[in-house]
Amino acid sequence: MGTPSDRTPGPRPAGIRRVWVLALMIVALGVGVLLSPLLGTVAIAPSTVLMILFHQASGGALFPNPCAGASMPASGCSGLIEIVWDARLSEIMLAVVVGAALGISGGTLQGVFRNPLADPFLLGISSGGTLGTAVVVVFRIGVAEQNLLLPLFAFVGAIATGVVILIAARSRFGSVETLLLTGVALSSFLSAVLSLLLLYSPSGSLQVDFWLLGNLGSLDWTQDGIAFGVVLMAGTLLATYGRELNLLQLGSDVAQSLGVDARRVRVRLLLLASITTAAAVAFTGIIGFVGLVSPHVVRRVAGNDYRVVLPGAALVGAGFLLAARDLSLAAFPGSLLPIGIFTSFAGAPFFAYLLFRRRQTTTIGGP
Amino acid sequence: MTDPPSGAALRLRSVTVRYGARTALQDLDLEVPRGQFLALAGPNGSGKTTLLRAILGFVPLGQGSVELFGDELPSLSVAERARRVAWVPQEETPRDDVPLFDYVLYGRYAHLGRLQGESSTDREAAIRALRAVDLEGRARDGVLSVSGGERQRAILARALVQEAPLVLLDEPTSHLDIAHQIDLLTRVRELSRDRGVTIVAAMHDLNLAARYSDRIVVLSRGRRVADGPASSVLSEELLARVWGVVADLRRDPRSGTPYLLPHHLVAPVTPSPGAFLGRGPVHVVGGGGSAEPYLRALSESGYRVTAGVLHLLDSDLETAESLGGLTAVEVPFAPIGEEARSRLRTLLESATIVVVAPFPVGPSNLPNLEEVRRVLGRVPIVLVRRPPGVEWDFSGGRAKEIEEELRRGGAQDVTGPAELLAFLAAEPLLAKAQ
Repeated sequence: MGTPSDRTPGPRPAGIRRVWVLALMIVALGVGVLLSPLLGTVAIAPSTVLMILFHQASGGALFPNPCAGASMPASGCSGLIEIVWDARLSEIMLAVVVGAALGISGGTLQGVFRNPLADPFLLGISSGGTLGTAVVVVFRIGVAEQNLLLPLFAFVGAIATGVVILIAARSRFGSVETLLLTGVALSSFLSAVLSLLLLYSPSGSLQVDFWLLGNLGSLDWTQDGIAFGVVLMAGTLLATYGRELNLLQLGSDVAQSLGVDARRVRVRLLLLASITTAAAVAFTGIIGFVGLVSPHVVRRVAGNDYRVVLPGAALVGAGFLLAARDLSLAAFPGSLLPIGIFTSFAGAPFFAYLLFRRRQTTTIGGP
Repeated sequence: MTDPPSGAALRLRSVTVRYGARTALQDLDLEVPRGQFLALAGPNGSGKTTLLRAILGFVPLGQGSVELFGDELPSLSVAERARRVAWVPQEETPRDDVPLFDYVLYGRYAHLGRLQGESSTDREAAIRALRAVDLEGRARDGVLSVSGGERQRAILARALVQEAPLVLLDEPTSHLDIAHQIDLLTRVRELSRDRGVTIVAAMHDLNLAARYSDRIVVLSRGRRVADGPASSVLSEELLARVWGVVADLRRDPRSGTPYLLPHHLVAPVTPSPGAFLGRGPVHVVGGGGSAEPYLRALSESGYRVTAGVLHLLDSDLETAESLGGLTAVEVPFAPIGEEARSRLRTLLESATIVVVAPFPVGPSNLPNLEEVRRVLGRVPIVLVRRPPGVEWDFSGGRAKEIEEELRRGGAQDVTGPAELLAFLAAEPLLAKAQ
């Protein structure tokens, strides 16, 4: 029995490759974050932008006079700093955090539902979160405390959606098909409620409309901080469930026989993904396709191990949204194109490609 | 490996499982001592898989309890269950393509801490397990790209690295070729004999179950209908009663284990018209395809036919059974034994006429001619003429002697099926029997 082999166990090239892929993604994202402030609605010389960045990051120690040689607006150097640091960088950081949140949520949901088409948008979790925030905006609840109320209502909406999916599933012994179908139905229902709300809203419908399309504008560091804190915590927790997700791909029974408490893990992951999604949609509205596409990109490059797919999807999602922000600024300089439109432009063809490819190899969606 | 408290590996107390209105398991008591290899047998839908799923805690019990190594199932965490019992499902549909090595390494999950990575010991265990199932060279191949049989072996390897003291297998050989069936079951038996692992395996193949297991439990409609070592459980009566199959019980000459030769259903599903309504019966002695034209010609003309002794796998046997005829059967390549011989005797005695097809005769099937000689004078005998120039007697001349003896005693010679039918049509005995 067995062919003689002197191959030793230990780290395999495939494993090393996965580490390299992740490291490369981190470096690329870092470069992207550094270079993205060069783009914006106001023209500022690249050298000035970089000097401002280093000046601010070092607490003023480096480049004590970052605006030297630059054409100043009326507000002087502090005005430039405000544009680059407070407007552009906070927007960029939000793109990174939201993209990471959507990416890791999408990866998690695809694993939980064993379905390549699952993502927070399809399952109604995004709509639930959006509906929560729409309530705040439409009814002008606590205008001063919007930084806290928006995420709070988004959490309530998103988590309530997740809980409804779970409760509906419980009656049928947790079958994956039931979960998925419930989510899809909920998504339609919530969209209808949202439309109704906007149609009869006393005010601010345009604002909500614009925000529904997904955008990164009109933000500040507080929103960044809240989103960053929540996504970092929930995302880190999610990333520790890679092994459980790997085993869940074999089916609940097999996973259970190997020691995974399949139902409990599913509930936990669904709630964590809801929280992460809520943090994303609270400030940016619905940004489609990032959660769907990012995990598939990682699978293509680094295989199906969820221990890599989850952090990888977060990095790719961050990069995707950042690139979308940069490209929309490069293509339409000076405009305020909602970023959700841009991601859908790139994401929809990919979605179609995925459908086509899957049909050739295997059926879609069967768990 | 965990060291569970002493006692039986598995104990079921009046376990009942219902799926809606259907009762899948009815009041089942079962105790499996450590290290035993227990085979679960029974027809489709008898409750074998349900029993395995009940042990794993996958189906809610209507009543009763399941104990694993002394502890009630509900008192054990999912991870603790996984450390005590491993499961090899009949088939698995993985969603993603992952290397076989990773797939096998999944078996270590219950032994690892929440954030603990696999150590080199775990990796070595996975390599050893892959080697044990003959898949070491394919460690990097994707689980979706290998064949069904290879995947089944990989699942066994995964169960091996799980290092559970109880292993449940559901039809472990269903996707395997015969060499890998023997290999896998040998390994499973070693696991129970050498390492004290308790095995409970649902098996369709009764002969493999008899050969490898220590004990066979037969389920029928959710109840236990037989329990014990193969030698006491397997019987022609059991097969007829539980499976509705007529079979001959033999003994494997090498190992002494019982061996069932399944024949046909108790009530044939599609009896050929001649089988019960026609004239005859005409018994045809043959083999190696020599009897086929005569069996067919007879059956088509409305005669009932019987045949034998034929060896299993002989094409004549297939023909005779497809025509609905009773046959006497022997294991391939073995000399005709006493049991087959007495069955032949019965068939010859009840025949209206006996036809000897031009079959080659050697020491192993010479008893066919000897038995024909016994009915000489009581039953009319027809000898099909041997084609000239073809050697057919490999019994040292004894077959030729017997045929000569039959001719002297009044046996008729015919050439070909047409002449046989013509002869039969003119035969008053057969006309009378009609």
